[in-house]
Amino acid sequence: MIEQLTTQQRKVAYLIGIVILMVPVIWLGMPSSDASTGGKLAGLRQQYELGEATLGKVDPTSATMNLVLLGMRGVAVNLLRMELDEQKDRKQWAQMRATTESVILLQPHYIQVWRYLGWNLAYNVSAEWDAVEDRYFWVKEGAKFLMQGTKRNVKHPEVYWETGRTVGQKIGRADEWKHFRKYFKYEDPDKERFGGGPDNEINPEGIDNYLAARVWYQKANEAEEKHVQHIMMRALFRSYPARSSLDYAEALQKEGQFDDQTRQAWAVAFDDWVNNFGKMEFADDYGAEHFQIRMEAYDSDVQEIAKQFGVDPKLIRKSIDFHQDVTNYRFWRIRAHSEMQEQTVDVHRNLYDGEQRMRKGSADDIDQAEIMLVKGLNGYAELIKKYPDIGSDDNAIEECLWAILLWQKIFQLKNGVQPDADRFPFPLREIWEKEQNRIPNLQQDFNRKYGPS
Amino acid sequence: MEQQPVIQIKNLTKIYRDFWGRKKVRALNSLSLEVHKGEVFGLLGPNGSGKTTTMKLLLGLLFPTEGEINILGKTASDVSKNERIGYLPEESYLYRFLNAEETLDFYGRLFDMSPQQRKERANQLIEMVGLQNARKRQLKEYSKGMTRRIGLAQALINDPDLILLDEPTSGLDPLGSRDMKDLIVKLRDQGKTIVMCSHLLADVQDVCDRIAILYAGELKELGRVEDLLKEQQQTELLTSKLSPEAVADVEQVLAKHNAKLLRHGHPTNSLEDLFLKTVQKSQERPGQRYVPAGSEKS
Amino acid sequence: MTFDRDPFSFIDGFQHWLKVFGSFAGGIFAITVLLALGVFGAAGPVAVINRVFAGLNDFLNLSPRRIWAIALLTIKEAVRRKALLVFVVFAFLMMFAGWFLESNLRADLQVKNAVSFALTTVSWLTIPVLLLLSCWGIPEDIRLRSMHTVVTKPVRRNEIVMGRILGFSTVAALIVVIMGVVGYVWIRRQVSGADLICRVPVYGTLKFLDREGNPTDKGVNTGDIWEFRSYVEGGTKSAALYDFPVGQIRDRIKIESRFEAFRTHKGRMGESLQVRYVLVNPTKQLRVPLKSFEVAEFALNEHLLENEVKYFDEGKQETRTVNLLTDLVDDNRLRIEVQCLDSGQYLGMARPDMFLRLPDRSFLVGYFKAVLGVWLLTVFVVSVGVMASTFVKGPVAALLTFTILIVGQAFREFMIKLVTGEQKGGGPLESWYRLITHKNDSTELEKATSTAIMQGIDEVMLSVLGVVQYLIPDLSSFMMSPYVANGFDVPWSVALARSLAMTVGYVIPCVLIGYYSLTLRELESK
Repeated sequence: MIEQLTTQQRKVAYLIGIVILMVPVIWLGMPSSDASTGGKLAGLRQQYELGEATLGKVDPTSATMNLVLLGMRGVAVNLLRMELDEQKDRKQWAQMRATTESVILLQPHYIQVWRYLGWNLAYNVSAEWDAVEDRYFWVKEGAKFLMQGTKRNVKHPEVYWETGRTVGQKIGRADEWKHFRKYFKYEDPDKERFGGGPDNEINPEGIDNYLAARVWYQKANEAEEKHVQHIMMRALFRSYPARSSLDYAEALQKEGQFDDQTRQAWAVAFDDWVNNFGKMEFADDYGAEHFQIRMEAYDSDVQEIAKQFGVDPKLIRKSIDFHQDVTNYRFWRIRAHSEMQEQTVDVHRNLYDGEQRMRKGSADDIDQAEIMLVKGLNGYAELIKKYPDIGSDDNAIEECLWAILLWQKIFQLKNGVQPDADRFPFPLREIWEKEQNRIPNLQQDFNRKYGPS
Repeated sequence: MEQQPVIQIKNLTKIYRDFWGRKKVRALNSLSLEVHKGEVFGLLGPNGSGKTTTMKLLLGLLFPTEGEINILGKTASDVSKNERIGYLPEESYLYRFLNAEETLDFYGRLFDMSPQQRKERANQLIEMVGLQNARKRQLKEYSKGMTRRIGLAQALINDPDLILLDEPTSGLDPLGSRDMKDLIVKLRDQGKTIVMCSHLLADVQDVCDRIAILYAGELKELGRVEDLLKEQQQTELLTSKLSPEAVADVEQVLAKHNAKLLRHGHPTNSLEDLFLKTVQKSQERPGQRYVPAGSEKS
Repeated sequence: MTFDRDPFSFIDGFQHWLKVFGSFAGGIFAITVLLALGVFGAAGPVAVINRVFAGLNDFLNLSPRRIWAIALLTIKEAVRRKALLVFVVFAFLMMFAGWFLESNLRADLQVKNAVSFALTTVSWLTIPVLLLLSCWGIPEDIRLRSMHTVVTKPVRRNEIVMGRILGFSTVAALIVVIMGVVGYVWIRRQVSGADLICRVPVYGTLKFLDREGNPTDKGVNTGDIWEFRSYVEGGTKSAALYDFPVGQIRDRIKIESRFEAFRTHKGRMGESLQVRYVLVNPTKQLRVPLKSFEVAEFALNEHLLENEVKYFDEGKQETRTVNLLTDLVDDNRLRIEVQCLDSGQYLGMARPDMFLRLPDRSFLVGYFKAVLGVWLLTVFVVSVGVMASTFVKGPVAALLTFTILIVGQAFREFMIKLVTGEQKGGGPLESWYRLITHKNDSTELEKATSTAIMQGIDEVMLSVLGVVQYLIPDLSSFMMSPYVANGFDVPWSVALARSLAMTVGYVIPCVLIGYYSLTLRELESK
């Protein structure tokens, strides 16, 4: 039939065909506007949040790159990743940073790519450098990279969480934490650029790294309410902002700050832990039973929840216990509560000041140090009586054991012999005896610092 | 023959093969002929008869399957023969992004010509082929006839002794055709040898001294145009239009002289007759071909 | 940036080239003669040898005028085919380059990124354009039969090939120079001129002392995958011994080094490892320890040795002064021992990690040497492209050239690993099989006829690759931008001479192959 038509007729026929085919395409693909949801595809895109703009900030470069590459994005990314590995092996960090940027241009909405590459910068690359300033620079690079990722993926909790982890844990728990925390909060090592203040790109308000981390974890939690995260159990994930508050207070303590600010920090952390995290609701199920629990629940609350969901109260209790165990809920509640007390602060201050005093080394200092240490240890004993759970906390145990080692050292300095525990009883002897297996390691650290006894 | 022929072809055979080396077409079958200095030699035949193949074989663009070629005393694969040859391909295959001047300059550079010579020669040729007004225009803007002309100019850039023209008048209007034929005659008068192939019989008849008729790769006729057209046993009369009575009268007169009126009607081109006859004959009795005297031994 | 190449020797390079070229040419000739003998009998080899002589004749009668005519035609063709539109793309890229580049980096990293970007852009734009042009030139000429009017002039086919290569190379030169200049201006606008440095280093040789003080060739490996740097142990007799040719230096000596630190324990946090140079004159048994310094990692440690060197002689417990050039330089060589002073920590170095720094060249010089490198690579690509286009059509030629380019630039190491069997996972079929069946490369394949056949075919393919690998060059030396990007001059011997020799070494066989394939084929497009 087609052969019988003239060229003219055939062209017209094709044109009509094209128009006919266009109709469903237009109908499906019509863009949405304020007035209408647009075509079918636009509707679906909105429903499943597939539009670029719904995911986060649109980067024109990235969009252009992906357009130019047509379907070859996967291949291009593969090549870039191979290059990345090569550059890592060859320690070409600057190029590696640039390649990282290119990868992300091509895959701006791949959450795992952001997470992996950010972690790679903050953890792997930073560890390759020797100078602490350089290490810090790369930790920051990782954090900044992740921050950029949050802007591009506003709806996903993972990248926020990862940013929080880098700003919080990486800076606060690295071996170099003392330096890192100082750099972050007060004085970036790049004085030329930041004028002796903190890096304003990563910490514009000049706050503590754990408080900064809390902000990111909070954002992660907000996003998590709409988008499921795939990193860890939900209860753990949601505990992070409050955990950051706890970390903040603990870090102040570790840095030897025993004042109202520290106590205040513990009070805030306690409130955060009990009243924010403790009151969050988590869905759980047991067989066919579905219910929602929260950490902070008295027996009356348990009964009420049980009634509300028509479930056996024992089941609710079991679920709460499980969740509390996973998040170490009870311990932190007690810890924060005890650290809030004036008495607790005194204990820590005595132990800390005692050590500082001892290091000064004069006879008088040593006498004073002994008094402070004994006072502190006695205080600790009381504290443990009041909050027995503290007695099984690693930090507390080690703090006690360390103080005892100091006390023994002083005894040795004064008397020239090791104290015999039976003749010269010291406070917290039961802990000393119970935790004997920890002593060799601590003793080693101690000897490195103060010389062998 | 007092002189070495300009072109001497012996038993030239060309078989096209496909990618796998299997024989596909026998484009030329044992062709033998000679072209002498100063003559216009025409290769005549329908499409696909082997005219262009012959020409390309002569130029070394194709390699013969069998047979020998001697052109200007050299083999076809010898590049130096090209110094004295001009070739106008079937269609003017030129660089469409060049203009007329650049084209001639480019081809001029391929010969041993000084810039001054190139320029003079180019001007002269552009004038000769009548492209003065289009000398700065790129060839892609040229009409077919103009392309043909610049193609001819290009073929004559080196003032060649032997000129090979493949369908010289194709694409030209009657006037252009006339010009081309005049030029060919003029070139012959300058003592150049010209080989042209064509399926336009009028061209060949007008300008060629000798022709060869090819059909399906075989040489069917070869000789001087007058000789080939001269029918020894017939006399041709050409009159003004006759009434039937007049025809009957003429028949009577003829009968008186023991002759017969074989045919009457409007005159036809005689070469066309010959050509059609040859083709018809070849189709009836394939395989028969013209064998020039003297080559039978080989 | 690594400078781990050895200087290039023209004689060695030429010998290697002769070997490869000779064996391939000889092999092809022998095969052709044998084939001809088989197909045509005794006449065959005679024809082959005649053809070779005719070829020789064609090369003896080359006409520069005709080559230039073809080159000129090529240039005009490229220009009229709008190849120069590439400038528009270039301008566009340069305008928006800021989008791609991070601006708040350290100055040296900014220079690195800007220079790399400019030079990479130049090469990424020039090479594909010229690759396509050169691969399509001759096939189009044949397809449109414009070739007919050329070869029916007294033009030899090698002149066509050479003219084409020359023409495209000229176009490339034009593009590269203009882009190079624009790129330079762009770089100057991106970073301040003071940051653009072009060091001229003098490298020495490197040997090591182990922890007992015995000489060794290599130090300790601390677990890097990359075996470039070797480590010395701190607080022991272990040291790195650098021997530098002092050459023309008649005044103070500038030393620059970059070392890498590796810690086995945290050590003094907040302080970098302590490094000490000891200047040694082995003949005079003179050891001059300099003041130790903290190592700056992945950055340069700079020292200036004055003519008079003051040091503390530990044996005699006194401060002494020696003359650098007369007392310390021994037989025109300066030996520097590098020690790490922190016990339990390691210091890593490679031969190029320490050098004497001669007066700097202008950045412009180094930059345009790198641009020259881009051009040489383009000439290489053009030659291969033109050569390929004489026997296959445009798309195939382009694919072939592109493959050689990519393999030569990025996958040569991988290819050599494949050929030597170092690469795990087998040949193409076996690796496919492993991929599909999820068998990792250390799993034994089951013994079966099918796997045996598979491995047999792989074996054949790999041995073909074993021959082909000789034909594919290592194109990394053409990449000179890292030198400039890192603030170094492009060394003549290591980079430029090698690239130059390589280009010439490929242009010659390309012309030969191109000539023969154009001569031996009928120029009819079918």
